Amino acid sequence: MPFVLRRIGFYIVAFCAAAVINFLIPRLMPGDPIDFMFAKAENTLPPEARAALLKTFGFAVGPLHEQFLAYLRSVFTWDLGYSVKFYPLTVSQVLGYALPWTVFLAGTSAILAFSVGSITGILAAWRRGGAFDSVASPLALAVQAIPAVVVALAALFVFGVALKWLPTGYAFDPKLDPGWSPQFIGSVAHSAIMPVVSLAFVHIGGYLVTMRNNMIGQLGEDHVVMGLAKGLSDRRVRYNYAARNALLPSVTAFALTIGSVMGGSLVTEVVFNYPGLGRTLYVAIVARDYPLIQGQLLVMTLAMLTANLAVDLAYVFLDPRLRRA
Amino acid sequence: MSGSLEVIFRNKKAVVGLAIVLAYVAIAVAAPWITEHAPMQRVGRPHEPPSMDQLLGTTRMGRDVFTQLIWGTRTSLFVGFLAGLIVTVIGVTLGITAGYLGGWVDEVINFFTNIALVIPQLPLLLVIAAFVGQASPMVIALIIGLTSWAWGARVTRAQTMSLRRREFIEASELAGEPTWRMIAVELLPNLLSIIGFNFIGSVIYTIITEATLEFLGLGDPNAVSWGTMLYNAQTSSAIMIGAWWEVAAPASFIAVIGIGLSLINFAIDEISNPRLRTLGTVAKAAKAQRAIDRARVDATAPEA
Repeated sequence: MPFVLRRIGFYIVAFCAAAVINFLIPRLMPGDPIDFMFAKAENTLPPEARAALLKTFGFAVGPLHEQFLAYLRSVFTWDLGYSVKFYPLTVSQVLGYALPWTVFLAGTSAILAFSVGSITGILAAWRRGGAFDSVASPLALAVQAIPAVVVALAALFVFGVALKWLPTGYAFDPKLDPGWSPQFIGSVAHSAIMPVVSLAFVHIGGYLVTMRNNMIGQLGEDHVVMGLAKGLSDRRVRYNYAARNALLPSVTAFALTIGSVMGGSLVTEVVFNYPGLGRTLYVAIVARDYPLIQGQLLVMTLAMLTANLAVDLAYVFLDPRLRRA
Repeated sequence: MSGSLEVIFRNKKAVVGLAIVLAYVAIAVAAPWITEHAPMQRVGRPHEPPSMDQLLGTTRMGRDVFTQLIWGTRTSLFVGFLAGLIVTVIGVTLGITAGYLGGWVDEVINFFTNIALVIPQLPLLLVIAAFVGQASPMVIALIIGLTSWAWGARVTRAQTMSLRRREFIEASELAGEPTWRMIAVELLPNLLSIIGFNFIGSVIYTIITEATLEFLGLGDPNAVSWGTMLYNAQTSSAIMIGAWWEVAAPASFIAVIGIGLSLINFAIDEISNPRLRTLGTVAKAAKAQRAIDRARVDATAPEA
């Protein structure tokens, strides 16, 4: 499958680009982050941590190309140094704990938003100008312009503080022991309702509009008219003839919104005190924990590229032309 | 010109959207006359609920929420439009260059555009802002402007490439028009709807992103903007102690300007692609068709 191989090659290059940017940013900025971090950490860090930090950032150690090689080695061995805030934990340990929660939160919301948005978009296009279309479509336009932080704060206030229906923070009830017990899984699901739904909410509108517009384009095509003329059921024409073709641009839109779902998940986690990457990043920013902040960018880039790869595979499945090419 | 204005005013979405945006611009311009206090001045005790004196209550620091909201409008609109302008200029320049020149120039630009598209935006912005340290709204606008051009570049490039194959472009090329004239006179007018869409989309994106960055504590805490208002509310646990006004005011202001701007954007989309028009137009067409049918029936009825 040359298509998929080409994409994987591109993602490797993109990851290297992100790593280079990550290397350059602290070196282009004025001031010395090391001193700043040590001032913030208030002498809780031992001198060897300072040496490790210096090594990670490579400040004043050797010429630039040597610094870069050392940096590359640390990226590919995933030895990202110590976290200032969570010392003696390493950056990869801290991120390793946080990543699954973010993948769970962002993944569930992205899939929820995509399915709900696309199905409602199909229905809105099928009865264009009907009652459902005239309420749902303008509403979708309005909703997708509202930032995730606003939705999350509103949900927190209404359902968490005022009505007290759902927990206002944490990924599970802290009284429970983590494990595969039904109780624990129930608690995780219960705590996830608000973050997942409020994160998905922002993106539903975008999928609805994309799907509706593609569907309207498809409905005028000959093969759809032919399907109707043959006397196929509405259902069959709607889903197998029109929607399947209209889905391709929606899948592209899905790939493009992965980044914004991840960004939204950063904010949502902060609002709901959810223990994922976003929450960790927030803590890292407040503590000026630069190694952790930089590790985040690499991990999130990796997550984003993996998600993009999954979308490419979905594309191959949906579009038979790519299988032959 | 009056013809195109008429097209805009016939679209309800465009009218509502324009009204919202103009109202915000008016608020931003008139900020000193609408408010009585300076935005950072203490006017009451912490967390006073809305009253006649403090229309929208006070913050943890006893500052007037209404005053901060109005002055924050200035900051957010300024940041939004500045970054939107930067994004659009970079995106359109790269997009037209790549799409029009083609060849290796196109390959290079397209390569960088694709990479910029898959590196996650918000985390990148967060890292840059974290190293800048307490970024002022102006710096935030620059950072967003310089990192968010990829989508615009890609869309403009695609449209330029499809225009390039049209006959009128080939005809003017054969007629020997210079490159600047090809771009400024032949291509740009046909790209206007995409450029406008890109600009307004970038303004929305910037306003949301600025608020997010500041909410996460990367902004300058002494700046007055919607994002720092949310940040201060978050750090003082305003929601948990029931001081909803401190959060509701900036949150609803951000939501409404976002809606206003995206209404304009969808109007642009509808005007340039008539197939997408909703309800009003479809209903009107159906009504007109029924009237014609009835007239036809009436005309044939007496003879039958």
